[in-house]
Amino acid sequence: MKAGIEAMNIYCGSAAINVQDLAKRRNLDNERFENLLMKEKTVPMPYEDPVSNAVNAAKPILDRMSADEKSSIDMVITCTESGLDFGKSLSTYVHHYLELEKNCRLFEMKNACYSGTAGFQMAVNFIFSQVAPGKKVLLICTDITRMSVVEGLSELAFAEPSSGSGAVAMIVSDNPLILEVDKGANGYYGYEVMDSCRPIPDHEAGNADLSLLSYLDCCENTFKEYQKRVEDADYESSFDYLVYHTPFGGMVKGAHRTNMRKFKRAKPVAIEADFQNRVEPSLRYCQRVGNIMGATSHLALASAIDNGDFSQPKRLGIFSYGSGCSSEFYSGVVTAKSQEILKSYELEKHLNDRYVMTMDEYDESIRTNKDIRFGQRDLKIDFDRFPKPFKHVKGKNKLVFSAIKEFHREYEWV
Amino acid sequence: MQEELKGIIRENLIEIIPELEGEDFTNDETFVDLGANSLDRGELITLTLETIELEISRIEFVKAKTINELADLIAEKRQALV
Repeated sequence: MKAGIEAMNIYCGSAAINVQDLAKRRNLDNERFENLLMKEKTVPMPYEDPVSNAVNAAKPILDRMSADEKSSIDMVITCTESGLDFGKSLSTYVHHYLELEKNCRLFEMKNACYSGTAGFQMAVNFIFSQVAPGKKVLLICTDITRMSVVEGLSELAFAEPSSGSGAVAMIVSDNPLILEVDKGANGYYGYEVMDSCRPIPDHEAGNADLSLLSYLDCCENTFKEYQKRVEDADYESSFDYLVYHTPFGGMVKGAHRTNMRKFKRAKPVAIEADFQNRVEPSLRYCQRVGNIMGATSHLALASAIDNGDFSQPKRLGIFSYGSGCSSEFYSGVVTAKSQEILKSYELEKHLNDRYVMTMDEYDESIRTNKDIRFGQRDLKIDFDRFPKPFKHVKGKNKLVFSAIKEFHREYEWV
Repeated sequence: MQEELKGIIRENLIEIIPELEGEDFTNDETFVDLGANSLDRGELITLTLETIELEISRIEFVKAKTINELADLIAEKRQALV
């Protein structure tokens, strides 16, 4: 009995900025900024939201499925910390615009950046349990940060350049062409900590140092638990690639260094080489999108599959962390076929296709964000406000967020 | 004991921020003023706990802003373990 990811695609918007430009604009300490390993980030446009991104990520997958395959989707799980309503789930909008069968279980998962893993494990266990043989799960991790103010505080200095926007869609089934999970190979670790949170809609608060320390604690302890459950598991020899939740590359580098020192007593030069070999392939897309929270560990996974060497089947170790906190280390196997299928979705081309904004355009987008708030009753989105990025979606059969009428969101295919 | 601990922290800090080598800085200057960003501070705590082989969650040390504060906090947590 197999389970895992059958298909996978991403959608990370139509506009981006170069974060080095941003660091200069905000007078961040450039000397050490390089260590953060950030390159670009997606900037959400007014016509993009967690629903449109989710639908645009899933649509190309569904377009390749037969009517029978589509009707075998038994569940739509959206994983997010960018919910649009305290009651109504994003999955209902997603299900509607993807025109799926009504005999389908729809719901949403929240647990900060761990949400995608919570949803993924739920989906995988649904397949392993065989309560509905042959059925599939559409799992979509989707998160967005609309910067509303320019925070000048040094503690939040990394938050602006690292906050991204995007979605990762997956079909989870008993035909795991992209990633076959190792059954029962899961180490969890969680406890109450107030490291980062969203106490009110549209605003993130927290302590960057505490979050980093908690991430490191979890990164170590999830693997210790994994080792208890998987005989002879070794941090170095068991995994050809490691995929970490990637708020920004520098954090992953720190975590990898720590774990290699702890588990393998490795020295700095060896750790650096190992980082380049086993971790760097997973960072590339995250470095260009920024932190998309619940979707980040799966974006890192997509990057590893696209950019790694899979001439032989290889095992990947995956670490997911969500503030608050809950975390998990699990693993799975990727083959040459996995890479071939994923490459056909042209993820890198999609990232290259985004319009790169000037800093003036970016600051203008932040000012516009104050008009798009949580809980709005009515709103009309002006597609002409940012005509250059809009050209990157127009005529490409993409879904865009167009209006809110009596709290109900409306979308259009353009 | 405390002086030795402070020495270890100083050494680790210099290892993380090589620019501090040969610089004259006190144990009361904040890590931030010494040029340590969030990642550097995390690494300092990790490395120090490893050097002295103390198995305590890193999050317990988030409040320490200086070498003296970190040394005091470590001593306090270590005492509590006895």
